Amino acid sequence: MAQSFKFNPLQIPDELTPLRMEVRSFLLDASSDWSGWDLGHSWTCFNREFSREVGKRGWIGMTWPEQYGGHDRSALERFVVIEEMLAAGAPVGAHWIGDRQSGPLLLRIGTEEQRQRILPMIVRGDAAFCVGLSEPGSGSDLASIRSHADKVDGGWRLNGRKIWTTYAHLSDFMMGLFRSDRSKERHAGLSQFLIDIHSSGIEVRPIADLTGEAHFNEVLFEDVFVPDNMLLGSEGNGWQQVTSELTFERSQPDRFMSCFPLLPLSIDALQNNEDRLACRQIGQSLSELVVLREMSLSILGQLEQGQTPSQEAALVKELGNSYEQRTPNMVRELFDTPAVMTRGDRFSELQAYLTQTVPSFSLRGGTREILRGIIAKGLGL
Amino acid sequence: MSTELNIGELFAEQMDRVLSDSVSRELLISVENGQSADTLWNTLEELGFLLALVDEENGGSGLGWEDVEPTLRCCGRHGAPVPLPETLLANWVLAASGLALPTGLVTVSPALYQLDGNDKLHGGDSGVTWAPLCENIVAIAKRDANRYVCLLSQEQCQVEPQETLTREPTGALDLVGVTPSAIAEAPRTIGGLGLLPYLASLRSVQIGGALEELLSLCVEYANTREQFGRPIGKFQAIQHAIAELASQTAAAQVAGQYACRQIDADNAERGGMIAKIRAGQAAGRGAEIAHQVFGAIGFTDEHSLHYLTRRLWQWRCDAGSEFWWSERLGQKTIAAGADGLWPSIAGPTELRKTHALR
Repeated sequence: MAQSFKFNPLQIPDELTPLRMEVRSFLLDASSDWSGWDLGHSWTCFNREFSREVGKRGWIGMTWPEQYGGHDRSALERFVVIEEMLAAGAPVGAHWIGDRQSGPLLLRIGTEEQRQRILPMIVRGDAAFCVGLSEPGSGSDLASIRSHADKVDGGWRLNGRKIWTTYAHLSDFMMGLFRSDRSKERHAGLSQFLIDIHSSGIEVRPIADLTGEAHFNEVLFEDVFVPDNMLLGSEGNGWQQVTSELTFERSQPDRFMSCFPLLPLSIDALQNNEDRLACRQIGQSLSELVVLREMSLSILGQLEQGQTPSQEAALVKELGNSYEQRTPNMVRELFDTPAVMTRGDRFSELQAYLTQTVPSFSLRGGTREILRGIIAKGLGL
Repeated sequence: MSTELNIGELFAEQMDRVLSDSVSRELLISVENGQSADTLWNTLEELGFLLALVDEENGGSGLGWEDVEPTLRCCGRHGAPVPLPETLLANWVLAASGLALPTGLVTVSPALYQLDGNDKLHGGDSGVTWAPLCENIVAIAKRDANRYVCLLSQEQCQVEPQETLTREPTGALDLVGVTPSAIAEAPRTIGGLGLLPYLASLRSVQIGGALEELLSLCVEYANTREQFGRPIGKFQAIQHAIAELASQTAAAQVAGQYACRQIDADNAERGGMIAKIRAGQAAGRGAEIAHQVFGAIGFTDEHSLHYLTRRLWQWRCDAGSEFWWSERLGQKTIAAGADGLWPSIAGPTELRKTHALR
């Protein structure tokens, strides 16, 4: 039986080294005052000023056509930029969703008007996106959503509730999934809308997470009017659009580098330490990371060739999340420091933040169980 | 690039046909009993497989390591009871150092030996796979700062039979003043660990192949074996276990590919090291899952599962375990300091100015 996945190698050519060094040098300057707590957030740290700086340098919407403000650069050039950002723990959260999934989705299925209007804003770091999928009664079982859109003159009227919407309170737009045909069930009759988060009838209620911060929200829709020109893609095609969007989301380095900044800090703390078990832990962690990076690059190559490596992406997220989740515990084993957080100490803050945050890594973007189900199905089970 | 890859795929397809026809339970048992799989070996020799990595001037196919990776993986998938990976490596290093290629079976000893002033070899290796069946053994020896490729006649080496988990004929070597039948200065790409990283790379690729077969057997079994009135593959517990096996398989295969590409790029130690750690880890977890899926029947001698799982347990230890290599990689990584970490992953390796944070 032929294998249900393949990972042909893709290598980053040496020509991209100057770009890499340019990003690295920018980050070296920018990072001097980032706290350990900030580093732990990285691609979930919302910092619009930083995003605008990144935008000025041409590092958002890099692969998009110039006519929409993009930079016509290659997917590999973008990969270099995002992996440098993640390695540095840079606060890229304000443009991450727009650059990673909303922009590419608009390019694939948006109208010309939508692209002209919104893509240049994302590229500048001026438009931040949140993703409205989960609802109070619909988590992993996304097809059971009940928030709905009713056709009205000139547009749609939205009612319902979204939950766990990261940065809804800071974003400009939501890509929301609603039931546009209430006579249909499950995967049918769903549509995606581009929603101005400041529309009247939207109430955003922050939800504090277990670290005490409020990153995610409950978003209430009460007779929210969305004009026809903000329907995204085709009416009734929401499910297919959302799942294709997730394939892009699941294979990138943010699925295995969320804890990376702990590694250089650990290595620093291990100088002049000959402990054999410590060496093994570092060696094993590095080996896993290198292999995950190879897998992620391979998927990038497949996407570039127009393939849909959903199975491969699910495998990377499954392996990547488990890998990054283990890192804080590895650090705990290496140093066995007490569970105290010393403000101002980068390593201590980072470890404290990540120890509490890693459980979310195998929840966001599809739970481990959902992913294993996808993989099993792809294997023919 | 793509045409070369096609040659590699063609080689692997041909290998798959040969091995599908010839590797049977009977053959595996006879090799475990000390017999040589001569018919299979002769077929592989006739088809030119033994010289795949040897350049065309010396009568080989001139393929790179990345090109032969699918073929090596295929050998792992079938548990091919022949020293083909070892022979590919032996012939590659012999040809690269200008030595004549021997006929018959040849294997490699990855230990590093000492060559004395009279060109006699000293040193030992606790387990050289296939040594009892091979007429020749290739090893690397040191003399002062130089390294030499040595061809040894098996008869002169007093091979002490050694039992292993695969039960493939294996022998320990204890050489005290053995005269090699040929010596040449080693190619400069052979580093301080001699052939070890190369054998580690081969084993990593073989692990990826064996896991691929385990995965395919598990899927087939889960879809057919019924309990509680339905195929066990309908139970989420089984689905998730097999999904994890798939993820380990994918990681091991990518690790093996990476190792081969690193050899082609003159960076064998890095590749073998990364790959053997990852593949070794995957081998253990993968074998564990497969046995759990198959239950008691998979634990019987009669079932074919153990021909794969015993190899996985052997190969993860051969040429440096995941623990041995991770200690070495960790030492090097810590020694290179925090600033060296990210460039060692993403490059460029010659520049050390980074954003490493403190």
